[in-house]
Amino acid sequence: MEELLEILRDIDDSVDYEKETALIDDHILDSFGIITLIGEIEETFDIEVDAAEMTPENFNSAQAMWKMIQRLQEN
Amino acid sequence: MAIHTNLYLLVFLPLVMLAYQLVPRKMRWGVLLAASYALYISFSSFLVLLLMATSFFTWKIALWMDEIGAQCALKQKECTDRKQKSEVKKDFQKKRVKVLRLGVLVLLGILFYVNYYNFVAENVNIFLGVLGAKLPMARVMFPMGISFYTLEAVGYMADVYWERYPAEKHLGKVALFLSFFPQIMEGPIARFPDTADALFSGEPIKMENISEGYLRIIWGLSKKMIVSDRLTLLTNQIFNNHKEYHGSFIIMAAIAYTIQLYMEFSGSIDIVIGSGKMFGVTIPENFNQPFSAQSAAEFWRRWHMSLGNWFKNYLFYPMTVSPLVKNWSKKARKKYGKYWSMVGTSAMALFPVWVATGVWHGAGWKYLFYGMYYFVILLLGVALEPLKEKRYQKLGIDPNAPWLKTLRILKTWVIIFTGELFFNAKTLTIGFEMFFSIFGNFHISSIWKYWPYDLLSEGDVCAIIGGSIIVWIIGFLKEHGWDAREKILHASTPARWSVFLACAFALLLFGAYGTGYQPVDLIYAGF
Repeated sequence: MEELLEILRDIDDSVDYEKETALIDDHILDSFGIITLIGEIEETFDIEVDAAEMTPENFNSAQAMWKMIQRLQEN
Repeated sequence: MAIHTNLYLLVFLPLVMLAYQLVPRKMRWGVLLAASYALYISFSSFLVLLLMATSFFTWKIALWMDEIGAQCALKQKECTDRKQKSEVKKDFQKKRVKVLRLGVLVLLGILFYVNYYNFVAENVNIFLGVLGAKLPMARVMFPMGISFYTLEAVGYMADVYWERYPAEKHLGKVALFLSFFPQIMEGPIARFPDTADALFSGEPIKMENISEGYLRIIWGLSKKMIVSDRLTLLTNQIFNNHKEYHGSFIIMAAIAYTIQLYMEFSGSIDIVIGSGKMFGVTIPENFNQPFSAQSAAEFWRRWHMSLGNWFKNYLFYPMTVSPLVKNWSKKARKKYGKYWSMVGTSAMALFPVWVATGVWHGAGWKYLFYGMYYFVILLLGVALEPLKEKRYQKLGIDPNAPWLKTLRILKTWVIIFTGELFFNAKTLTIGFEMFFSIFGNFHISSIWKYWPYDLLSEGDVCAIIGGSIIVWIIGFLKEHGWDAREKILHASTPARWSVFLACAFALLLFGAYGTGYQPVDLIYAGF
């Protein structure tokens, strides 16, 4: 989880990712932030994020992203 | 029968509401579907058959994908380990993707044929002419709303493929989702979970929904009839006879057209959302104070939001995570570093989105240019972002300073006005002629000297400016957390009714009617 938080802080360090639950809905993380994020998490966690995963529910909070990463690592 | 006409608002809508309320709850969706097809026939007569066929096809394709999914689940039960299960899933996904491709290709094929075949044939014929060959031109009838319902259908099929929700078993529910009468002309482009359940549930008509719907409709009509319909006279005159006007008029026409388009399109969407509300259906919003945007990217998150969201969900993100883009991105990160990899990936994902956004509006080089214009601006925004941050730090400027925000808003306005100038010009060449005339032939005083009083009197100008200011103030207050509509709806009954009556009187008093005014068609209904 800490690695994920570091990636997110690298994109924008002004957000409290441990508390924020509407990163996509409130446009805190925009489409270009998502592009950077996908590249980073795929490399760091050795996973493949496909189009089916690209939903606000998976990216609205660091917790939701972490759950998605763990699920993709299990598959 | 367009949704801003008296026939729709005073006869059709009340009659549908009455019929809806009178029939048993289980049959109410049938009333909405029949009303939707009746309204559609009033525009596109027998082309309603195409809408029906699209609905049936979409429903069947989604069910087919679900069926394959169910077969996959059965097969997976026989597997002993995870690896085997994963292999089975992969095999079945290949079958499902073939079905999805079939669905998407058929629907987009029809859309392409109706909208773009003649444009492509015309341009191909320029080259074929050298060889003495020629593609035949097609006599195509335009099915109303095809650009909107096709995107809804493709989005539904893609969501079912991605297993975001199961395929709907009831054909009527899918058909009503795609054809609901307020939305069919100008959208917004909804996703199945946004409206389908509410449309199908047959909720009784409630007084609070009528109040909310009425207020929304009257607000939308006011934007259209007090401001937009008046501006149409001015913008038509200048855009149709641009050579007769100085650059100052061209700038004014670009600004006027942007305001006209916003008032007209957002006003129509207000009528759509208000109509839906009457039946207890919450249709997604399409605008969110777009002129408060501080960048072109933010503008597109606030303007025609349903189209932007559609392209983001079904084109931008799938492109971003496609093997082609991902492989390139990985190699570029190693070779050129994070920054260039991000810029390159953004370019690869943004390009198809903006080609599609441009041509979605119609067949023509100007629409393609309009898409490319925003592609370049958005890509520059991405590429320059880190430099901007460094410069702010170096100069000790607070990026959130109010003066800087105002400057950014003004800069965004210039980008928007320029884009709309090309968007509304008759052709791309005329668009460039108009654009360059701003620099070569600019006399601010000519606006007063040559003002077309026969088209817009001082009274009309006051109505336009007054109306625009009111819309701007209400938007500004909403942006800062004070929602006028909510306040009115939660006010005491006498206060609420006073506002309702005042709105109706204002519309009757200041709306553009009578000699010199023609009923103005809905702009986006033509796309």
